[in-house]
Amino acid sequence: MIFMSDRIKVIPCSGMGKVYGLVARESALKVVQELCPQESSTVCLAYIVTGDQEAKELIEGVKCITLDGCPSMCAEKNAELAGGLVTEKVRVIDSFRKHKGAKPGTATELTEEGWLIVDEIAGEIAEKVKLLRKEG
Amino acid sequence: MSINMVKIGVVSCSGEDCLGGTISRLVTRKMLEIRSDATVTICLPLFLAGGVEERGFAEKFPTISVDGCSKACAKRATEKYSGKVSAAIDVSDFIGKEVAEAGALSSRNLTDEHKAMVEKVVGEITTRFDEVLRAAQRDQVAKVAKGLAMVGNGPSGGCGCGCGPK
Repeated sequence: MIFMSDRIKVIPCSGMGKVYGLVARESALKVVQELCPQESSTVCLAYIVTGDQEAKELIEGVKCITLDGCPSMCAEKNAELAGGLVTEKVRVIDSFRKHKGAKPGTATELTEEGWLIVDEIAGEIAEKVKLLRKEG
Repeated sequence: MSINMVKIGVVSCSGEDCLGGTISRLVTRKMLEIRSDATVTICLPLFLAGGVEERGFAEKFPTISVDGCSKACAKRATEKYSGKVSAAIDVSDFIGKEVAEAGALSSRNLTDEHKAMVEKVVGEITTRFDEVLRAAQRDQVAKVAKGLAMVGNGPSGGCGCGCGPK
């Protein structure tokens, strides 16, 4: 049995202004809900931002994979500030380098091409989750 | 200086762990469509990650927080790092606590029922938005008269970081 506290935390930025924020969010949801529901979970980044002790306790000392849509790296920075062990820092923009000229949609809605990129990123993160789980 | 340059910051919690967070994000994005000239969205995590522009904007201009649940993270974080919000929307007040706190939803799985929830909250936030905007415009007129006006130089209908709409 894997307790919730043992699950790898997958934390996206969910940035509002660009499509990359939505890609980060959807990739994380796919990992925690479909690909690795037993090995991973997420936590509201906004809750971490509040600095509440209860929120910190959710990720303090827990392995985290962060997904960021822009160079501000908000998910990574906030997870680290709250005491999370950020073992993987995924930059969505890096994945787009493999899809030059792609039209992924907007920060509201993804196109089919956008969803394909989400599936690709989610697949890569799922592999990382499984690897981190094996490491213990 | 025009009163049309008054901007309202909309700060969504976008919670990744509950349906209310998904609805809050969609509602906020919708405001960029229906009040595109006056809406600026602000990335909440940037408040803590060093977003000087975000903090500065929310200190100087009115903000509306949109939270998915009663934890009110967007409202509390905005007020902690920046300034008091002009209006606060809690999605769970409109769609119910249990529904709002159900698991997060991918936008790939949005149903007509979820879209109706978004529209319901959009109706409420639009009313509040217009009230806040009118008050800010009145304030702007008064400041112009005194030579103290401050106008938004960020992009309309865009992101607080100045990247413009995408």
